[in-house]
Amino acid sequence: MTQRTTPVIRVEHLEVKYGRNVVLCLEQLRINRGEQISIIGPSGAGKTTLLRTIKGYVRPSLGKIEVLGLNWSTCNRATRRRVQRRIGLIFQQFHLVPRLTVLQNVLCGRLGSTHRWASLLGHFSSEDRQIAWRAIAEVGLQEQVHQRADTLSGGQQQRVAIARVVAQQPEVILADEPVSSLDPVLGAEVLSLLREVTRHHDATLILILHQPALAKQFGNRVVGLRNGAVVFDDPPSKLTDDRLEEIYHGHSPVPLPRGDSPADEPLALVGA
Amino acid sequence: MLRLGGLALVAIALVWSWRATEFSLGGLATGAPAIARFVANMTPPDTTWEILKIGLKSGLLTLQIALLGTGIGALFAVLLGLLAANNLTPEWVHHPLKILLAIMRSIPILLLGLIFVGAVGLGGSPGVLAIAIHTIGNLAKLFADECETAFEGVWEAMDSAGANWSQKVRFAVWPQVAPQIVSLTLYRFEMNIRESAVLGFVGCAGIGYYMEIYRRSFNYPRVCTMVLFTMAIVLGVDQLSVQIRKRIS
Repeated sequence: MTQRTTPVIRVEHLEVKYGRNVVLCLEQLRINRGEQISIIGPSGAGKTTLLRTIKGYVRPSLGKIEVLGLNWSTCNRATRRRVQRRIGLIFQQFHLVPRLTVLQNVLCGRLGSTHRWASLLGHFSSEDRQIAWRAIAEVGLQEQVHQRADTLSGGQQQRVAIARVVAQQPEVILADEPVSSLDPVLGAEVLSLLREVTRHHDATLILILHQPALAKQFGNRVVGLRNGAVVFDDPPSKLTDDRLEEIYHGHSPVPLPRGDSPADEPLALVGA
Repeated sequence: MLRLGGLALVAIALVWSWRATEFSLGGLATGAPAIARFVANMTPPDTTWEILKIGLKSGLLTLQIALLGTGIGALFAVLLGLLAANNLTPEWVHHPLKILLAIMRSIPILLLGLIFVGAVGLGGSPGVLAIAIHTIGNLAKLFADECETAFEGVWEAMDSAGANWSQKVRFAVWPQVAPQIVSLTLYRFEMNIRESAVLGFVGCAGIGYYMEIYRRSFNYPRVCTMVLFTMAIVLGVDQLSVQIRKRIS
């Protein structure tokens, strides 16, 4: 399986600026197909910027970023749009259409591939509908198919968002703090689900997580960012308290692992 | 301090207007006999079959003019409203459009009626045109405001799924704003019924046209019949609109 080792994301000497501030500066970063990566780091470290750069929403000021074999800086608009469609996004606030049903929301994941004019009239092909139904079954919401999205609980809403991304059939899934607005138990459930569907569809998952414990549990590789640079890039087993302290020092991961760790003491991991 | 200043300004503006208009309730008291005479002249209303028929037919036409004007106006208002929303289109599209819409609603509707009567002649069309134009200027602005409050994250999610502009509008914006758009259109329709009646005074077809003809020939019982028909239509539509709005909210 040579496929396994092809990088889906390749970054070289990348620099991203907002105005005159350098917010991201990566020497090298390779992410291979099928990897499940947790990104951690204090707020302002450039985690979201990295995700948006991967999606092609943010243009680097220097360097090269290749996603799914395409260089964002040199490709034309149509090609970029086509490749962007193969990258799914999951948001902290779910971003569902409140007044539409679960099925209608999940069908929105098909918008990039379906017949454009027919979709404007609310019509989706039977193939689209099958894909949507399967996605809904995968996240276990068959019972709620025709329920309006705004009547669901937070955990269920994030499941709908996951089904929508599954319906999009992406090769890369980017999730920006997908469980920060959910309680811990629901959060772990949603992350397991995300991990499962990613595996099942042979996709690559990149998660931004605020809790180091979750990052260790749900990533087979952890990338730590600090001031826009990678300061940690190893399997979770190597993420010791000392290394964690390096990533966060002076800042605390949210929420505090122990609730009372002063900045000059090494941060402890829950269950580490 | 600021509130006191504001209050003082309002008071000054009121006094200023009072003096300019020479408004007085005393005038109303001394004019009371004249009002009584006017009402006496109007009653009883003319209920001959011929006049009732005219009232019914022209009242219906007034309703139809308002309906078509509102329909055409709302259709264009949806399109222009989307284009005039500053979160949906680039600056060079929504900025000039907003100015155009402001101009459209700054022209008094009676003036629009006069212009179109001059342009296309007497009949129903000038009324429809005047109402449509004024409705576009008014509704498109309100629709644009509505779109600007739509939740932005949904737009980003649709974009991420590969949706194009029209798909994003259809799925990220439309479901969020549709109930408000229906409600605003109904409200405007109620207004347009009254506008449609009044447009008859300047030569557009409908019940107002007969009201004006009978008033000019001092036939007040007939004017009264027309006024009663107008009131019935306005109240009927108001009631209907209340019911529909109750359903959609």
